[in-house]
Amino acid sequence: MSGDQESSAAEAVQRQVRVQLTTQQEDIALPESTGPILVPTGLRRYALSTLVNNLLGSEKPVPFEFLINGTFLRTSIDEYLTDNGISAETTLEIEYVRALIPPLHIASFQHDDWVSATDVLSSTSHAASWASGATFSKGQERILSGSYDGLLRIWNMSSQTIATSPAASEGGHTASIKAAKFVSPNQIASAGLDRTVRLWKYTEDDEFVGKITPQLELYGHKSGIESLAVHAPSNRLLTGSSDHNVGFWSTKKADAPAAPENLLPNTARTSKRRKLNTSVSTPQRGPLALLSAHTGPVSAAIFDAKDSTVGYSASWDHSLRTWDLVTAALVDTRTTSHSLLSLEHLPEHSLLAAGTSARHITLIDPRASATTVAAMTLRGHTNAVVSLARDPSSTYGLISGSHDGTCRIWDIRSTKNDKEGVVGESVYSIARKSLEEEGKVDSKRVGGEGVKVFSVCWDQTIGIVSAGEDKRIQINRGEGVLSSNKE
Amino acid sequence: MDARKASKKRKAVTRDVEGEAGVFSGDELSGENLDGALSDNNNDLSESEEEDSDSEIELIDDFSDEDDEDEEEELDSDEIPSDTEPVATKKTLKSTPTDNEPNFRIVKDANGNERYLYDEINPDDNSDYSDVEENANTIGDIPLTFYDQYPHIGYDINGKRIMRPAKGEALDALLDSIEIPKGWTGLTDPSTGKPLELSQEELELLKKVQMNESTIDGYNPYEPLVESFSSQLEIMPLSAAPEPKRRFVPSKHEAKRVMKIVKAIREGRILPYRPPEEREEKDEDIINYDLWADEAERPDHIMHIPAPKLPPPGYEESYHPPPEYLPDKKERKEWEQTDPEDREKEFLPNDFGSLRRVPGYENFVQEKFERCLDLYLAPRVRRSKLNIDPESLLPKLPSPEELKPFPTTCATVFRGHKGRVRSLNVDPTGIWLATGGDDGTVRVWEILTGRQLWSVKLSDEDAVNVVRWRPGKDAIILAAAAGDDLFLAVPPMIADPEMEKASLDIIDAGWGYAASNPPPSAAEANKKNTPPQWIRPSSELADAGVCVVIPLRYIPKSISWHRRGDYFVTVCSGASTPASVAIAIHTVSKHLTQYPFRRRLKGGGPPQTAHFHPSKPILFVANQRSIRGYDLSRQLLVKIVQPGARWISSFDIHPTSSTASGGDNIIVGSYDRRLLWHDLDLSQRPYKTLRYHRKAIRAVKFHPGGRYPLFADASDDGSLQIFHGSVTGDMLSNASIVPLKVLKGHKITGELGVLDIDWHPKEAWCVSAGADGTCRLWM
Repeated sequence: MSGDQESSAAEAVQRQVRVQLTTQQEDIALPESTGPILVPTGLRRYALSTLVNNLLGSEKPVPFEFLINGTFLRTSIDEYLTDNGISAETTLEIEYVRALIPPLHIASFQHDDWVSATDVLSSTSHAASWASGATFSKGQERILSGSYDGLLRIWNMSSQTIATSPAASEGGHTASIKAAKFVSPNQIASAGLDRTVRLWKYTEDDEFVGKITPQLELYGHKSGIESLAVHAPSNRLLTGSSDHNVGFWSTKKADAPAAPENLLPNTARTSKRRKLNTSVSTPQRGPLALLSAHTGPVSAAIFDAKDSTVGYSASWDHSLRTWDLVTAALVDTRTTSHSLLSLEHLPEHSLLAAGTSARHITLIDPRASATTVAAMTLRGHTNAVVSLARDPSSTYGLISGSHDGTCRIWDIRSTKNDKEGVVGESVYSIARKSLEEEGKVDSKRVGGEGVKVFSVCWDQTIGIVSAGEDKRIQINRGEGVLSSNKE
Repeated sequence: MDARKASKKRKAVTRDVEGEAGVFSGDELSGENLDGALSDNNNDLSESEEEDSDSEIELIDDFSDEDDEDEEEELDSDEIPSDTEPVATKKTLKSTPTDNEPNFRIVKDANGNERYLYDEINPDDNSDYSDVEENANTIGDIPLTFYDQYPHIGYDINGKRIMRPAKGEALDALLDSIEIPKGWTGLTDPSTGKPLELSQEELELLKKVQMNESTIDGYNPYEPLVESFSSQLEIMPLSAAPEPKRRFVPSKHEAKRVMKIVKAIREGRILPYRPPEEREEKDEDIINYDLWADEAERPDHIMHIPAPKLPPPGYEESYHPPPEYLPDKKERKEWEQTDPEDREKEFLPNDFGSLRRVPGYENFVQEKFERCLDLYLAPRVRRSKLNIDPESLLPKLPSPEELKPFPTTCATVFRGHKGRVRSLNVDPTGIWLATGGDDGTVRVWEILTGRQLWSVKLSDEDAVNVVRWRPGKDAIILAAAAGDDLFLAVPPMIADPEMEKASLDIIDAGWGYAASNPPPSAAEANKKNTPPQWIRPSSELADAGVCVVIPLRYIPKSISWHRRGDYFVTVCSGASTPASVAIAIHTVSKHLTQYPFRRRLKGGGPPQTAHFHPSKPILFVANQRSIRGYDLSRQLLVKIVQPGARWISSFDIHPTSSTASGGDNIIVGSYDRRLLWHDLDLSQRPYKTLRYHRKAIRAVKFHPGGRYPLFADASDDGSLQIFHGSVTGDMLSNASIVPLKVLKGHKITGELGVLDIDWHPKEAWCVSAGADGTCRLWM
């Protein structure tokens, strides 16, 4: 047997295939003159990477990943050819990209309570790009966190709290915050179990002192709000709530209708209970529309990344619905077999990634022409996937945060065909630093107890920001990725 | 016998004629037979001189000569009783002369006395006393020379002298011999007394005898030899004739043995046949049946199985099969390694090239032996070898994969209770989880994240035994039992103000109703079975969200809401609780508590738990051994279920019971480790008993709403078990029950494992309350 292997290996080494190495990134492109080259078919990723580095003559070797026909090379070329039935005579078109650097832990920001939501403000973040004309200098990156204690906090990169939102008695959230987003560098939206969406004005006095002041309270949901999506150019918000509704809101006080009276606080039980006296009176408004079709709690609602008039929502009732926000009409319903807990749009591929309670991520094509419900399944998490974010540098990248206490980075090109269809595997898994500090890296928490990740956010500048049950915001960054993008 | 004597006598006789022997013999050559002539010669001699004495010998000799074969036979037979025969002959001899006449004469002797004169005994030829010849010389055995000087030569039997013959005639004879006539012999023919003259023929005959030639005319002694019997051994016998009897040489030894036997038979020592035994009489007692005496041909038994007909041999059984039938090394090895029982065929095809190279069948003896064993030990039955996969014999259960979704892993751990968590319940919207535990607190959690949102301490000393949400989505009311008291609470900040108000309204509506009824007098209040008054909680509890307190005076262990949310039933299962107040039905809208049962339920201790039927106005009450269904509107006992468990811990009614999709189904968990599925339409007895737990089952629960056909049980062994139990619409098919999953995670604390279980109302998620102080969400 071993003899066979050896001989076959020897044979594979002798076999050669003609490859054309290409790339789409100019800084690592090979010279024009480089034609097809003959390589032994026994090569794997590492050998190919060394080869490309040699061809480039780069001083510091850069790790590369290799794509053949849109999927990553995970085996030797020989095995790839065999599996896909490609003749070794043909010239193989291999695209190489920078390999993702393992994201390293940068910092952790300690909170008083579980952190349920996080967002970033940086030169590359949505909020900054939407803010027309606003200049955002480097080194002024801000991280927003919403916590179960009902407070929003603004952090700088040196783990200092620049601003904290007012307490409940001063016009803050009266219950846990479940979602928070920067609308613009000066405006923040947050929502939580107190059924309100609140808009805050954020101002910075200097680099280390900021202030969050309530701007608007939006009433309309009858149960806790689970998710919040922001589209600043059109001043629109989208929320998903446990009352089975999707809320569509305006951030402008003038646009918004009046708040429904019956939902305002202080209308019931005032005599028997501690009054929620707010010294600050904030304008209260209602929703532009409440989109009700779901039969379960809506766990996520997002805008289409390209078209802000289209919204998507995912719910515990297993369905993913497409909404026309202009007419507040339900366009399409895609029903899966599991409760959906998170949602992210991959516009370049017309796919929606939905995290499920069944511990995987389903990629759904929302277009009406799509025949199959699930285009791809990403497996690897061991608990519910509750948060998803796009890779800012790659249209194929995705990060997910799960109740199992890990964030996983996925590349939808790194797939294989399983009996259940196309199944992807995570590229990297980011564990919680708090576990590491406790010296329990290897110990597996049942149900991710104590380390559940509730929210994850991926920014090109800051890196991966995740918030969780360990009362921390954790920042991870792949140094190589960052450096490569600084061009 | 007397051979010696005879020879002596012969001697005595022949002595006299010794010198003339040659002539004497020549004289006698008249007989044809040489032997006979010779013997006659002797006789004649003795006759002439001593006739009397020689007669006996002669007789015997003759006898022996004549009856050659007879004598031999007689010899054989007479060997042993040799004495007897002569005696017998003597008798016959003696008897012959008796003619009833005295054989003597009486005469007077000289003295005048009587003298008996006997007759001369004249014995016949056969007599032994043949020697009684008148002229026989009686001188005995003395030489005749003693009588040379006497004129007589002896005495006869009567004492008279026997005179010497005259000698003068001898001279004459001499003279005659001078002129010897032809054929002169010098002898006297004894028969004629004349000189014996021999004819020419006789002389020639004598001459031939002297010359040792054959006396027969024309005899050619040199005839060509016919080698009938030669020294050469022939392979085949010349004659196929059987060996003649005369060649038989009788064995003296055998004759001796035979005579011995004969003697023994005669003496009676040997019995030639077995004497008839005296069995005949006994045989009458024992009846011997001949079983097969009248057996007739019968048709084969109905179960008769003829020997199976073997298929004709195929190529592979050939001694020289085609190469494709020959096994390769791997197949051969595989065949050798498999157990002989499991082999598909009993032999491996083998190529011997030619038939003469085929060796003997090596298993021949073994097979014959086994065949004998089969015949001896086992009747012939049709034994078709079953090549059946054992898996296929199992009942056709769908694989768990097909029955997804069902809870498989622990998704969330709810940690916060100090001490055991005794009860938990998921609210009708499926977002909140309420728990109650030993620390006297009721807590409400966010079900997915495990975040505790609300907590109220109902009692400092007593544990919260049970928490149950009010069904229905119009309000959010939580019923909890801690110690003797029941609490109704509306947890704040969970529902929106509108719903919160609705909930409060539902609870508060009863105050007016209660107020309109006059409060019971003090005497009535002291009576045991007076329904308790609903009272307002303390301000501390009221601030926390508790709205109503019902002091029950006994510890309720079970709360079950009616599906409309207006009634709930509580059961105080303590042994000391009076039977009349153990079961209470509470009406929220009227703030009214009623005791529907006056007497203890029959059979099996205090009531344990009670549930309303999901669609009919039936209340099911379980005591330790049976479950009874009461029609509340008609106040009738309508159903009795006897699961056979010793102590029922909990039961649950299938949510689709008595609807279009099926009959009433109940699952029952018992402290004696059994989980029992009852189909009430089928029988009082369990349709299925599942005994998979090692310890007592604490709680059983169907998935509510009937969306997923799942049910689960919780046990003291720290595990939950998830089952698939689908109830079909038609009455004909039974429910199919498939065990799906064992969920482990709860630690056993103080011999207790999982105390309560509940399902998410919509998803296939379940939650469990453990004695280890945690609750777990499984999905």
